Amino acid sequence: MAKKKKKTEEVVKRDLWKEVKEGFRKYFADFGTAVNKGDWGTRASLIVMGAGFMARKQYAKGILITLVQIMYFIVFAIYSLPYLAKFGTLGTVKMEQTFDPITMQQTTNNYDNSFLILIHSMISIFLLVVFVMYYIHNMKAAYQLEKDAWIGKHVNNILEDIADMVGKKFYITLLTLPTIGIVLMNILPILVLIAIAFTNYDQNHMPPAALFTWVGFENFKALFSSGGMTITFGYAFGKVLSWTLVWAVLATFTNFIGGIVLAVIINSKGVKFPKMWRSLFVIAIAVPQFVTLILVRNFFRDDGIVNTLFANAGITDFFKSIGLLGANMQYIPFLTSKGWAKVMIVLINIWVGIPYQMLIATGVLMNAPQDQLESARIDGASRSQIFWKITIPYILVVQGPALITDFVRNINNFNVIYLLTQDVYTTTDQMLANSNAKEVDLLVTWLFRLTNEYYNYKMASVIGIIVFIICVIFTLVSYSKLMAGGREEDYQI
Amino acid sequence: MKKRAIALAMSAMMMTASLAGCGTQTQPTQPAPTPEATPADVAAAPDGEEPVVEVAKADESAVGNLIAATTGPVKLTVWASEEDQDLTKKLIDKFEAQYPDVTFDIQLGACSESTAKDNVLSDPTAAADVFAFADDQINDLVNAGALQEVAAAYTYDVSKENVAGSVAAATVNGKVYAYPMTADNGYFLYYNKSVFSEDDIKSLDKMVEVAGAADKQIGFELANAWYLFGFFSAQGTDLYARLSADGATNECNWNEGVGVDIANALIGYVETGVFVKAADDASAVSNMKDGKYAAIVNGTWSASSISEALGDDYGAAKLPTFTAGGKEYQMSSFAGYKLIGVNPHSAFVGWSMLLAEYLTNEESQVARFEARGLGPANIKAASSDTVKADPAIAAIAAQAEYATPQRIGGNFWDPAKSLGEIIGNGNPDGTDVQTLLDNAVEGINAPAGN
Repeated sequence: MAKKKKKTEEVVKRDLWKEVKEGFRKYFADFGTAVNKGDWGTRASLIVMGAGFMARKQYAKGILITLVQIMYFIVFAIYSLPYLAKFGTLGTVKMEQTFDPITMQQTTNNYDNSFLILIHSMISIFLLVVFVMYYIHNMKAAYQLEKDAWIGKHVNNILEDIADMVGKKFYITLLTLPTIGIVLMNILPILVLIAIAFTNYDQNHMPPAALFTWVGFENFKALFSSGGMTITFGYAFGKVLSWTLVWAVLATFTNFIGGIVLAVIINSKGVKFPKMWRSLFVIAIAVPQFVTLILVRNFFRDDGIVNTLFANAGITDFFKSIGLLGANMQYIPFLTSKGWAKVMIVLINIWVGIPYQMLIATGVLMNAPQDQLESARIDGASRSQIFWKITIPYILVVQGPALITDFVRNINNFNVIYLLTQDVYTTTDQMLANSNAKEVDLLVTWLFRLTNEYYNYKMASVIGIIVFIICVIFTLVSYSKLMAGGREEDYQI
Repeated sequence: MKKRAIALAMSAMMMTASLAGCGTQTQPTQPAPTPEATPADVAAAPDGEEPVVEVAKADESAVGNLIAATTGPVKLTVWASEEDQDLTKKLIDKFEAQYPDVTFDIQLGACSESTAKDNVLSDPTAAADVFAFADDQINDLVNAGALQEVAAAYTYDVSKENVAGSVAAATVNGKVYAYPMTADNGYFLYYNKSVFSEDDIKSLDKMVEVAGAADKQIGFELANAWYLFGFFSAQGTDLYARLSADGATNECNWNEGVGVDIANALIGYVETGVFVKAADDASAVSNMKDGKYAAIVNGTWSASSISEALGDDYGAAKLPTFTAGGKEYQMSSFAGYKLIGVNPHSAFVGWSMLLAEYLTNEESQVARFEARGLGPANIKAASSDTVKADPAIAAIAAQAEYATPQRIGGNFWDPAKSLGEIIGNGNPDGTDVQTLLDNAVEGINAPAGN
């Protein structure tokens, strides 16, 4: 059984690879065919992009397309070229300012700003790729048009095309704005972020006053190598990564199980005022999370309310007597010692996270197959048997994808970790301290402090890329395991 | 460094903010040759005794030139701390009244002096034209090209009218980069007079003895590199932690000489249970007010709240001496100043300089003391009787003798903080103290931005 499954997976993989290769080949082959077999009109499109259309008497479209081409050439010459010319070095002229004490005027030289060069070069490259793709597409379209015209097929004029945009091809019109948004807000920044990982952009190379430049894979090397106390990024990375994963697993599953248990308890028949209980938990959601977290952090300070209460109630002494606490400790280091802080963070996260899961689980449970529960009960299954054998598998199937999203979100769970530990937790691991990391840091909080407090953009970008890769690998693997095996059939209704 | 506000803003995509500045290209001037980095002025090595540089007195016609050359409205943004808003607004109004022929449009924004660097460095071209900051940030600001050199003084003599220490704090590599505003941003000892006599507070040993007998504690933020410096770089130890000549990395030798003695002495003090690690600024002050702590080390920003709570028992003094390896050392400290800087990316650098001068002249510094009790950097303003009668400002003046200007690179903070945390917990793992110091020093001296 297992063997067979493996085989099918392999087949799927090989086919996908083939498809991609085939797609690429066809993409360029079609272009080649158009160039080779097209008539003079089609071939003229190689130089004047609208020529193919004009040859078929589609003047409006032809002129429009040629205008786009001319506009792009102008943009390329005026905007792209100056930046792309400096893309290789990211600038060479450092900023120089001179102040004249007599006239009290400042003059600035025509300096290079590495960061602007990087951003605008990325935009230029992006535009170039889009244009080349459009150019190839236009060539193919011209050839298609030639063929259509030859067999006498109806060819849309520009008015009909416009009508299509709100009719048959309305989806294109609809998707234009979101696509532009995604490109501007997501794709370009991510491209720039990736590029920064290969530069030496840090506090000593901050534009506009200083230049930064390409350093190849140096930053990645730094992240994965550890040499003594001076270069501890590799060590810190290993520590932070393992805690990030431990945290993500703990946080996801404690919330998941806790939320379900809570929902089942509230939904079970014997409970009085289920709505009131549910509302009480939902109120916890209504308070902004960061307010709750900062309050909780203050409660659990070394000299906070909880410690005072525990000391007065004798709990601190009790902990000392059972060895949970050192003999000379005056307080419980809830958020200031490694072990305690990790446990507390997970516990507090359960508290702030469970209501969400409870709500979702309630919804899922309401749609649970009552007939199965009924028959199980008739067959004499115990409550825990029903819970583990029917309820949990059912919820797992329905919520599997959500669970994966939760896990990825917990890898990047900035709020809980940062707000609970910032300004409170001090590491006693000197190797971590030398890389500005702490035992309780997630990759994302480490990244945040590197950028926000130490302007170490290059290392932050490298860590950002690593986080991205981890999330992608995890998502792909778990989705394929969860979905591909046809797990849905395992749970037959 | 203290009281770093929590940045709640999500970092999201760090570059989007900078995209806003895309349109600002520079005005073309003659092509400048690529300049070599200016070699660090070795004479200005951070030795605690920086030679005070003089700011040239400008030609008298300069301001007239500027007024004549100004045609449109002068648009400026000023950043001052939240508490300084009312006062700064008044001073700006007075400044505007001085130049009736010029139209001003001066916006006032709130930005704490302790976090000015973070806000300015995120995009110097978009930052305020004139901003107040704490002197520990000056090196990073100068490195990032975010401070205009004070090439000339127009309305008063910046270098002679302010105390030497404050001018030294505004100087980097032999050039003055900012206007001294206050001279009170260091730290000293607050004590409860009902517990300690004036003789007790001269030595930490005596203080621990007295406080222990009175069942009180002495709070010290050990896990804060800023305060920890006071012990390790004490007078007569030959230990230092300072910026090296390259202006980016640190030189620290706390692991040499008597460093181990000091670390052991600190662990010894912690083991008494009387000298304790205070969690942070807020908790140190609140415990002082509650009477749990009989003494803390803190700065002038807490003066009013502590004096209010303690009333007649309120006392402030220079830091005590302590014993390490059988020898007595006077605690050192970082001398702190608040400065006003001008952004070189300002469209009106000339006017920004005049405004910065106005906000830091004698009159304004007196007004600042009267309104907010901040210790003036101006010599005349500081020598008035009312200023001298203020216990906190008197204490910081007494400590000034043992204080060092804060010249230290970013890699100092985390390793030293971690060292302080381990010491403050009484070195629970029993690690060899020399190893602890070696590790910390290696981190402190690591190449910048490693």
